[in-house]
Amino acid sequence: MCDWCMKHGAGGKWYMNAKNYSNELAEAINAREYLQEQWKAFEMVYIRRIMGITSIDLGYKLQLPIIGRLLRWSAERMIHSEGKHRNPVRADGHFGQVIPLEEAKIILGNLAAEPIIENYCMCRWMQRGIKEACCINFGLLSGVIEKLPRFIPKDTKYRLDRDEAIAHIEEHNKKGYVATVWFQPVPYINAICSCENPECGGLRLRNDFGLHTVYKGEYVAEVDPDRCQACGMCVTKCQFGVLRLVQSLKRVIVDINKCFGCGVCRHACKYDAIRLVPRENYPALRGVY
Amino acid sequence: MFPKKSPKVVIDYTKCGEKGQIDPRNCTKCLKVCDPAIFILHESPNMPIDPVDPKYWRITPVWLSLCNMCMKCVKVCPLGAITVSR
Ligand code: SF4
Ligand code: SF4
Ligand code: SF4
Ligand code: SF4
Ligand code: SF4
Repeated sequence: MCDWCMKHGAGGKWYMNAKNYSNELAEAINAREYLQEQWKAFEMVYIRRIMGITSIDLGYKLQLPIIGRLLRWSAERMIHSEGKHRNPVRADGHFGQVIPLEEAKIILGNLAAEPIIENYCMCRWMQRGIKEACCINFGLLSGVIEKLPRFIPKDTKYRLDRDEAIAHIEEHNKKGYVATVWFQPVPYINAICSCENPECGGLRLRNDFGLHTVYKGEYVAEVDPDRCQACGMCVTKCQFGVLRLVQSLKRVIVDINKCFGCGVCRHACKYDAIRLVPRENYPALRGVY
Repeated sequence: MFPKKSPKVVIDYTKCGEKGQIDPRNCTKCLKVCDPAIFILHESPNMPIDPVDPKYWRITPVWLSLCNMCMKCVKVCPLGAITVSR
């Protein structure tokens, strides 16, 4: 369990706490206003000046002496902000965590507040110009996005019932997309995404610039050496370069320090050789998200 | 002491953008050809913004430190609107 579970998990994981999905909570923190502001020009998030600085050439700015450290510190503060005066246009308090398919299904089947919609992925649109309906949003956020035609799929049903949402997340996950669950803003949960690296803005900031926009999952992959047939299929699925086929051993090895615990590698294995185990099983990974 | 400067990637907005010959949404070739995905497509900040359905768009090269100067975007652009330099 991570620091957000301690604060908002009611004894369990933060994203398994029903309270964090409720309309009452959304009202209490004024989520509608926040979400409307955040979403109406979301594509501008990296272009705007935030405290006088844009994200343009962030990689260089973060390496500057002093300013770089200050920038990193304030960016982390914004991402994880629980303050009263959070600024939606810079996405204060908007961050997520990788989850395996099993937990995404539990959330969509039981916890997500209706209505549930599936809209075009913002990140693929901004970074690749691709419109792909694979972002599942729910609760108050659905009504906010429905008013923005550029995110609503044409010619397909975009309002989903729980069973349809479960079927869709399964389809995306098996394709190799990584399931993530999002606070928007913390502690209100209203989205399960199916992300790709580096198209996903959250994973981009995490993997390329070390900002904690996305936490790694509660699990890591483990390969059973007796079952592994060294076919290499799982290696093609991992978005994070965690798996390597070692020909001399005739099996795959896992770099657990890099593993996000998304579990999509499992879908590629015909020999049932990969399973997810809790991150906590490895002392070196305890508390490292 | 100071970090290495990133490559300069510049788009000529008189060719591609809100006042150019092309609406970047109808092309997006540079977004797709760039392996590190350094470009961002967004509403144009210089035009009146319709929050519900913005009409004016441009592309900004954002993640410059990740550009490897492969020049694929320069070659793919039908308008010759992109320059990449040190
Ligand atoms: S978080 Fe993932 S699915 Fe959601 S908009 Fe970004 S890439 Fe798309
Ligand atoms: S090795 Fe880890 S990060 Fe890679 S696909 Fe498997 S679970 Fe996901
Ligand atoms: S897919 Fe399964 S059998 Fe094939 S290399 Fe990966 S773990 Fe081994
Ligand atoms: S030169 Fe290559 S890496 Fe750089 S922006 Fe163009 S396509 Fe991307
Ligand atoms: S390839 Fe050229 S014309 Fe096409 S979107 Fe990019 S900059 Fe514009």
